[in-house]
Parts: sequence; structure tokens; C-alpha cells
Amino acid sequence: MSHLFNPLVTAEQLYQRRTHNDLPVELQDRIRFDTARLTHSAGILLRLPQDITAQANVLLFRYWTVDNLRDHEFNDASAATIYLTAKISASPRSLRSVANVYKYLLTADHDSSSTKSAPHSYESHARGYYFTEGEYQSLRGRLLTLEGQILNALGFNTHVALPHPLAITYLQTLDIFSPSIPKHAATEISQRTVQYLNTALMSPQMLYLTHQPPSLATAAIYLAAKEVGVTLPDVEWWEVFDCEREELGFLVMAMGSLDAIARGYQERDGAKGMITRMAIDNENRRSSLETDNTTPRV
Amino acid sequence: MAPKEYAEKHARPSNSFSGCSRIKNYEVLGKLGEGTFGEVHRARSLTTGKIVALKKILMHNEKDGFPITAMREIKLLKLLDHPNILRLEEMATEHHLHTKDKKKRANVYMVTPYMDHDLSGLLENPDVPKFTEPQIKCYMLQLLEGTRYLHEKHIFHRDMKAANLLINNQGILQIADFGLARQSHEDVPVAKGGGGVGGNREYTTLVVTRWYRPPELLLGMKAYTSAIDLWGVGCVFGEMLVGKPILAGDSDSNQLKIIFDLMGTPNDSNMPGWRSLPNSEAFNFPPRTGTLHQRFREFGSSACNLLSCLLNLNYQERWNAIDALQHEYFKSAPYPAKPGEIPTFESSHELDRRKARGQKAGLPPAPKGGTVGMGPNGGWGDANGHHGGNDGYGGGYNNRYNGSRYPPQGGHRNGIPPPPPEAERRPAWRRDDGRPDSRLPPRLPPIDYHDGGRPDRPDGYRSQSREIDRPPMPRNRQGGPNVDTYIPSYGGEGGRRDDRRRRDDRDDRGGERRHHDRERERLEYEDRSRSGRTRSRSHSPARDRDRIRDREPMDREREREREREVYRR
Repeated sequence: MSHLFNPLVTAEQLYQRRTHNDLPVELQDRIRFDTARLTHSAGILLRLPQDITAQANVLLFRYWTVDNLRDHEFNDASAATIYLTAKISASPRSLRSVANVYKYLLTADHDSSSTKSAPHSYESHARGYYFTEGEYQSLRGRLLTLEGQILNALGFNTHVALPHPLAITYLQTLDIFSPSIPKHAATEISQRTVQYLNTALMSPQMLYLTHQPPSLATAAIYLAAKEVGVTLPDVEWWEVFDCEREELGFLVMAMGSLDAIARGYQERDGAKGMITRMAIDNENRRSSLETDNTTPRV
Repeated sequence: MAPKEYAEKHARPSNSFSGCSRIKNYEVLGKLGEGTFGEVHRARSLTTGKIVALKKILMHNEKDGFPITAMREIKLLKLLDHPNILRLEEMATEHHLHTKDKKKRANVYMVTPYMDHDLSGLLENPDVPKFTEPQIKCYMLQLLEGTRYLHEKHIFHRDMKAANLLINNQGILQIADFGLARQSHEDVPVAKGGGGVGGNREYTTLVVTRWYRPPELLLGMKAYTSAIDLWGVGCVFGEMLVGKPILAGDSDSNQLKIIFDLMGTPNDSNMPGWRSLPNSEAFNFPPRTGTLHQRFREFGSSACNLLSCLLNLNYQERWNAIDALQHEYFKSAPYPAKPGEIPTFESSHELDRRKARGQKAGLPPAPKGGTVGMGPNGGWGDANGHHGGNDGYGGGYNNRYNGSRYPPQGGHRNGIPPPPPEAERRPAWRRDDGRPDSRLPPRLPPIDYHDGGRPDRPDGYRSQSREIDRPPMPRNRQGGPNVDTYIPSYGGEGGRRDDRRRRDDRDDRGGERRHHDRERERLEYEDRSRSGRTRSRSHSPARDRDRIRDREPMDREREREREREVYRR
């Protein structure tokens, strides 16, 4: 039983998805990042344990390597994966709860930080989050269809191994919690490690699909220790954790650069909210009209 | 082995999320069974040429999407890999030609290797000679190997019984049916460690078919250990020796009585702490010693000894699979046969018989289940981590589990099944005419623990449940041992439907509820008492037409049972 390991994406799957796709690669990255962030927020509002949310993120990225990104609305795909992941976990959430949370998250003026200062009446807010029965039913239909699509695409392989518990074990192995290291440093390093692992879930590079949990855990520890200023053994300690130098280097780069990527997105169009498939379609249609381009883009 | 090496060896193909295969990859060779767990087809894989069994997962009540119990079983099976565990080869889907119709979802099949028999059917099959000792030893070793593997992986099977053990014509035995299995949080058994101490966590007691249910479960112990599976292994061992189930109680209290007849009544030395178990007050048996050694004398002392080790009343001292594999029984002449040395038998399937009688195979759709998992209003989840909504999640799946194991369909095909002929109304355990389906005992009563109860939620999750303020274990509580939840009813079944409907009426709470629960339980027992094996895969041929006649209503009962089967983890 390979509890600790994940099925990984094949090079061919990665290539196919990134190139044989009518969306520009940058846009695909953006969609992945945004959707993962959305999933993460929904997990918090649904009060799901973080491991469930993390698994949902991984499953969604896996799904998108099999089926096309554009087959479904992105936030629907996010909602369906989180519903599915919670359902098989010990903390299931109702479809209604999931629907409400997504409705709230997608209501445009909620996310932009400006609203916090602006006095908004609760009524006008509430109206925005309200679901008509028809809306709810159609969403439910979409989510359940998607659930089937996802299960089918994944071959019902819903197991996800996470690096978080491994990371703690590794930190213990590295004597981070021994008296020789100040307590606050030990706390900080473990927190940073977990933060890196959680952030990596949103990486458009889909690190959880390309690397096994031991490597992810090792890279997160490496970065965290460096940041906190705790010296780790001089030797090539990562080899003990089945991580090769080259792989570690790649992951450290990838995890370390995520911050800049996120900031870049934030600066470019921070207040715009979640990208939707509909918006992309509209944009395409508009630009094709403008340029009088008769070839269909879709 | 280094972890990396281990990982490489065990890694599933890296493209393993490349999707399900299509049903078109299989050439369907005919129906094996129907009713007991949906449709099962024998098929040949067009890619590998291998003969497989295709089990259809029924999707009727789609209100919450894909059936959760099926999904969890699939998830568990995908993590297991052992020669003595039925392998889930893959999932296959069948798409409808006109997918425009959103209502029509794809059919989903579980693909497992084709096995010719189940142990229960094999023992019952009149064409199969009584098992020889080397043969029994061979099967037992495989059963124990499989059990050892499961327990090592922190999995309790929780439905160990002859009908769930599949055997093929190569003499290989595989443990199947993981619908009740769950991952545990106990320490794994160790050599010479007995059945473990337990107590770490509470699980639902609503598991294991009654005839294979260990005394600690019958007495209501919740913090049980993997030793519950070993009791079942012991029962199966006895069953192979004798040729029929050895502890066929017709009610829970009767089950305890015959267990104590065989093993002696419990006292502080042979079952320490038994007095503190919830249901023990109700029992007062005059102290007696067991009859096991007299009853099994003819099978030799080492067989007797192994049996008594497995059927130890004290779960802490009950042998675990690791130790049982080292038992002298397997190291003394006659030595265990090799799987390949066991003679092969022609398999037969339920459906063949039905076809022979010219019956239609088609089955009507199942009745819809009652409430569905979530409360109507959903909500945002509350501070305690439950979702809003007024029904626990698991609860809703009761009537709806329609995975491969519990196809509800067919339950009402001909309306109320006719009462069996007078001659058939003997108590099941007294029948001596082979082993008709009806002889398997009921499974457990699905009280609604699984939802609010779900006492074993790893994160302590509890839905706002009615269970919390309900006393534990309604069963057997009132009226002591003489009042049992099981009331044999071989006759008219007229009232049942109404009760069933009431069962669905799950919103009522408080006083009435308990009554309903009991009522439900009783029905559950009735149904199950008559419902038969849970596998039709390799049933032995019926000996005569009467038996078949007897069986028909049972299929329906069984299906109904399945329909009601709860997800109780």
C-alpha cells in the first residue's frame, strides 16, 4: 500500500496540456493559481481540515492534466473537487454548504480590500450571496456532473499522500526540536516549512504532481531553515530523505519563486477577482470581432 | 528495503490518473449474478485477455452524487495489494450513446479478477466432496495471510465470513467485500501479542454478520481491536471442518448463548472485564465449561487447539494472524496442500439456475431511499466543525448505498414475497438439507450510528446528532436477554412495507424515534435472517427445485437488506 506516494503526472500529459490548448500558457498558469487559491479560501470557510483542502487542490490539478482546463467553469471544478474530497474524508460537507461558500467567495465586491473600509449595508451584501432555487439546482447539477467527470478522469484514484506529516518527521530527525536549538527558532522553522508546503499547492508548476512527498518536504525544510537561519548538517542530508540534489535544487527554486509570481498577479490585477471561463470566452469573442477574425478561436 | 527502492517497486504506473477504461475494452461473456450486488458480468479483457468479473455500481439516488460508500470501498481497495485480497483491477465506465440526456449517467463498473467460487457456496455444493485436511489447511493459511496483511495495514475487515471468501480453481483464496472495512488507529498486531489491547478509539458495533460476530461485539464493546476479524476466521475454520456454520444463532442473545455453550460461560479469568461491557448485565448464564473439545474431537487435538485459540473469548489473548500462521496445526501431518494441488470444481452461478427455469432476468429500478445526507438548508458549517443541515452526512446514505455490494434493486419486483411453504419454516439452523441461502444470519441492525454516531470518526467529528442523547446500543437493552431484536418471521410479511416507509421517515426525533429504531432493527434482523449469502458469484448449484423456490423471496429480501445496509464505520 503506497500510502506515502502519489501517482505522478507523465511528461506527455504535461506537454499535451500545456501546448495543445488554445489558452496561452501564462493564462493557464494564472487559472491554476487562482483556482487553487479559491479552493483554499473555500476550505477555510467550510472549516475543513487543511489536509482535506490540500488534497482537493492536488486532485483538481490532476484532473486538469487529464481533461481540458476549459471543459468546465473553473470555480465549478474547484467546488466539485472540494465536495468530492470532503465526501470521502471524515469531514464531509453538504453540497449546499459548498454552494453557499462559493457563492460568497465569487460575489465580486467581497474580495477587494477596499470594501472593508467602505460602509456597506448588510442587506446589499446578503442579496449578492442569495441563491435562487433554480440557481442552486443548476449548480448542483453541474457539480455532480463534474464529480463524475473527475472520478472518471482519475480512474477513481482519489488517494493523495501529503508531505506535511513527513516534514514533521524529517524535522525531528534533523534534531530541530532538540534543546540545542532555541525554541522560537524551532517553532518558526516548522511553521515556515508548513507554509511553504501549503503555498506550493498553488504553484502553477503543479509541484505536487511532479514530485513525491519526501522531496517536497525536504525542499520546504531547506528553504525554511535557510530563512530562519538555522544551520542544518553540513553533509548532503537530503539524500537520507530520498531527495537528490538536483531535484532539491529545482524544488527550492520553484517554491521560492512562488512568492514573486503571486505578487506579480496581485499587482497586475489584484482587485479583479477570480478569472472565469466565461470572461475568457467573452474576451475572445470581442477580440475576434474587433480584428474581424472569422476563424473561430474555440 | 530503502524507502526509495520500496517506492519504486510499489509505485503504481505514473499515468495512473489517466482515467477509467471503457467498458468497450471488455468482451462481456455473460451475467454471473444479479440481485445480490447489482449486476455482475463475466468478461474478457480485450487488452490482456484475462477473464474478469465486472460489478456494476448502481446509481439511483444521485442526490449527493456518487455513492459515498462505494467510493470509500474503492479508495481502500486501491491501496491494497496482496495475493489473498481480491484485487480491484480498475474501474471501467460505460457511456450512453446519447449523452445529451443529462439524467442518464454513465455506468461504473468495478473490475476484479474472476473467481469461481465463494467458500460458502463451495461448502454447500453437493458436487464438491467434503474438504480434506490438507485442503482446509491450505485455505486457512491463505485466509490468515490475507488477514495478517490487512491488519498490518491498519485495516479491520469487519465482515469476515465464508461467503466473503472467494476461491478460484487454482486453489487461491481471496478476501473480498470491503464494504464494512475501515482503517483503524490501533497499533498493529505483533507476534505473541494476542489481539491487542484496544481502547484507543471507539468504533461502531454494527458490524460483522451475526454468526461470525465475536462475543465482545455482541456485548457492545466499542473500543475493539483487529481481534474481531480473527474470531470470524475461527468461525470459518470450524465451518470448513464441520461443513456448515458452527455458530448459527438465531438472535443476538441466542448467538451469545451458543458461543458460551461452545467456549464456556464468561468469567473474570477467561474474559476479563466482560462485566463492564454495556450489554453484559442482561446476561446471566449458569457457569459452564465449553464443549469445544468434545464437539471437535474428531478433527484432532491440534485443530481443536487452533480453534480454541481463535475463538478465545478474551480478545486480548485471542491469537492474531501472525501467531496463528505459526500454529502447530500447519506444521503437522497431513501437511497443507499447495493451492495448485486442490482439485477443481465446476462453478455455477445463480443466474444459470434462474435461466434454466426461464425466468426473466430484468429487474425493476430500486425504490428511492429516504432522506438524503445533508439537511435541506446546508449552511456554512458550524463552529464545531459540522456542516450545517440537520442530518448527519452518513445517515443519508443508508438507503442509498447501492454500490456493488448492496444493490437494492429488485426488492419489490413481485410485491410481497410469498411465505415459504410450511415445511420451510423450521428455524434456519435446524435445516439439514444443505445450506440454502436463508441460512446465513442477518447482518447487523443498522441503527443510525453511522451518522451521528459514527463513533469512530478520526477527528472526533460528530454531526449534531440525535444519537448523542440516545442511550448507547438500543439493542438488547430493554428487557434483558430474552427480548431480542430478532423476531423470526418466516411467514407473512405484509407489515413490512409500512415499516419500511416509516424507517425513511427520519426526521422525527425524541420519543418516537427510539421506537422506530427498534422497530427497524427488528425488521432488519428479519430480513437478514432470511437473506442469504452476500455473494452469488459462485453459488453451488441448488439441489432441487424446492430449494430454489425457497430462495427466490430471499433474493429479494437480501436485496432489500442491502438497500438498507448502512454505512457504518
